[in-house]
Amino acid sequence: MSGNRTFRQSMSWLHGWAGLLLGWLLFAIFLTGTLTVFDKEISWWMQPELRDTGVDQPTAARFAQDWLAREHGEAAVWSIGLPTERSPVLKVSTGEDRRAERLVLDPESGARVPVRDSVGGNFFFRFHYSLHLPRTLGIWLVGLAAMAMLVALVSGIVIHRHLFRDFFAFRPVGSRRAWLDGHNASAVLLLPFHLMITYTGLVIFFLIYMPAALDALYGGDRMAMLREASPGAQAVAGGMDRGDQRSRDGASAREAPPAELLPLESFIVPAEALFGSGMVASLRVRHPGRANARVEASPLLGSRIALTKGEAAVFDGVSGKLLQAPAEKRPSALTQRVMAGLHFAQFGGYPMRWLYFLCSAVSCAMIATGLVLFVIRQRLKVAEANAGQGFLRLVETLNVGTLAGLMLGCVALLWAARLLPADLAGRAGWEARLFFAVWALAFVHAWRRPPMAAWREQLWAAALLCMGLPLLEGFSAPSLDKTRLLLELCVFLCGAVLGWVAWRVGKASAADGVSRSLEGAMRC
Amino acid sequence: MLTGFTAGLLLAYTGMLGLCLGLERHYRQIWQQVPPAWLRRTLRAAGWLALALAFPACIQAWGAAMGPVGWFGLVSLTGFALVLLLPLAPRLALWLPAAGGVLWVLLLGAGLWRGEPF
Repeated sequence: MSGNRTFRQSMSWLHGWAGLLLGWLLFAIFLTGTLTVFDKEISWWMQPELRDTGVDQPTAARFAQDWLAREHGEAAVWSIGLPTERSPVLKVSTGEDRRAERLVLDPESGARVPVRDSVGGNFFFRFHYSLHLPRTLGIWLVGLAAMAMLVALVSGIVIHRHLFRDFFAFRPVGSRRAWLDGHNASAVLLLPFHLMITYTGLVIFFLIYMPAALDALYGGDRMAMLREASPGAQAVAGGMDRGDQRSRDGASAREAPPAELLPLESFIVPAEALFGSGMVASLRVRHPGRANARVEASPLLGSRIALTKGEAAVFDGVSGKLLQAPAEKRPSALTQRVMAGLHFAQFGGYPMRWLYFLCSAVSCAMIATGLVLFVIRQRLKVAEANAGQGFLRLVETLNVGTLAGLMLGCVALLWAARLLPADLAGRAGWEARLFFAVWALAFVHAWRRPPMAAWREQLWAAALLCMGLPLLEGFSAPSLDKTRLLLELCVFLCGAVLGWVAWRVGKASAADGVSRSLEGAMRC
Repeated sequence: MLTGFTAGLLLAYTGMLGLCLGLERHYRQIWQQVPPAWLRRTLRAAGWLALALAFPACIQAWGAAMGPVGWFGLVSLTGFALVLLLPLAPRLALWLPAAGGVLWVLLLGAGLWRGEPF
């Protein structure tokens, strides 16, 4: 960079390169994040064996207790996921491992429901924060992309020429003007959302990104910091916290004499008194059938903004006494939890979920239009200087493969969930592999085809797969209910939008071809 | 909750519409004439007022803590929808709040009919 550039030119340079180099990654993160808003609904759709039997929580808890006592009486831990609004089935597992296989039980028929092994909507969630890489590496890459997003947002505000005059401007005439207006409008009007979602995303992993304070003040002891952040935790339990309890338990589990566990349904009402009516998500029983039995009730996320993930109320399983209420947090810790909650968007019910979904869909559109604009500008540069063809080709390929290809991969994952044989060994792994295979093929396709044709074909493919989803439901495993029907309707509408874009791309490239041949004719 | 949400949605859209039409360029986009200064000022003031009124509607829908989050979301999204709608269907953009108002009254009426508070 030469010294006599203006500040705005430098910012423009920064915006272009930060946006380009991490824009592809950002699009992938934002698109999967958008889908994660409806993760439970997607999981529900991907497992057509699940159905809403309308069983209430007390009945489910009673049935789960009977079933677990009969089948797994000797297990050290029972975990019971109660039916809730977004996931109205009873799921149980045993053992300490949180990722243990969860069995679906049907209290009506009294049997296990065989459910296909599927990655579910959780796939998008994991991709969103770790890109399916080893966890730490993925989180660092996502953090890097988030920083680039902040850089691009701030530099974008600086280089915007008429922030207020063009506040409502959208002129869909001429390709460059339309793309630029679309990019600006989606960025400026949703600026509060872009800043909020990017910043809070970084705050979630503050301990990973900025460990210096933890190392200096607590010698890197994470538990010590968490204990100090919520001092109430020990007060109620009389100095007992769950970390200690677990290590002591190994020895004491065998020693504790047998004792009758209270009916689990009786813990739902006192837990609701703490979390709010209908806000109990799961029960976890340690040492069932022993005198030291503990019942932990966890809240459903979303009764407040602050993220309550990992919080629990602990009861004595034999006497029913409350041993430990969910801890009050210090203002600093609460601030972090509120920011995390703002990012996780579990509060405010379906209207808020839709607001988040639409806002982040606009974010995806902003990133996509930015990437397209880079290509348009690069094309002009190449036409002027007649150089850098290879670079332009590379950017165009990556654009098609990332923007259209990822959408294709996501909808292909939904198809894979229904089309792969239900009893395939390692089925969830095959679903994920298919997703990545389709995405990789999209890059190959984008490289082999002329850019405009690649855009058109991949967008059409994604649109058709989206619009065909209701058909797939019809012939694969009919299990229609309200959630699945709504999901199919939404995916169909997304497909219609993609089809419209593909059609416009086709028209534009045809017009482009005509104008180019006209140009050629005039030169002749 | 839905009446509050719908009211917030309508007020946010109306507010953005008022601010938008208060600008000469967009006023001309619909009526093909230059607005007098007093009209522009009135439109803008009405726009700000509607945005301000959308705030209590969001508080009503979500409560004091989540309401502001919803307000930001609604204002941003309705603004973006307006921007897309203006060049494609300017008349529709203008009449949308009126149609929405009818819907809101229906929702409110249905709620009162079932004996729910506002």
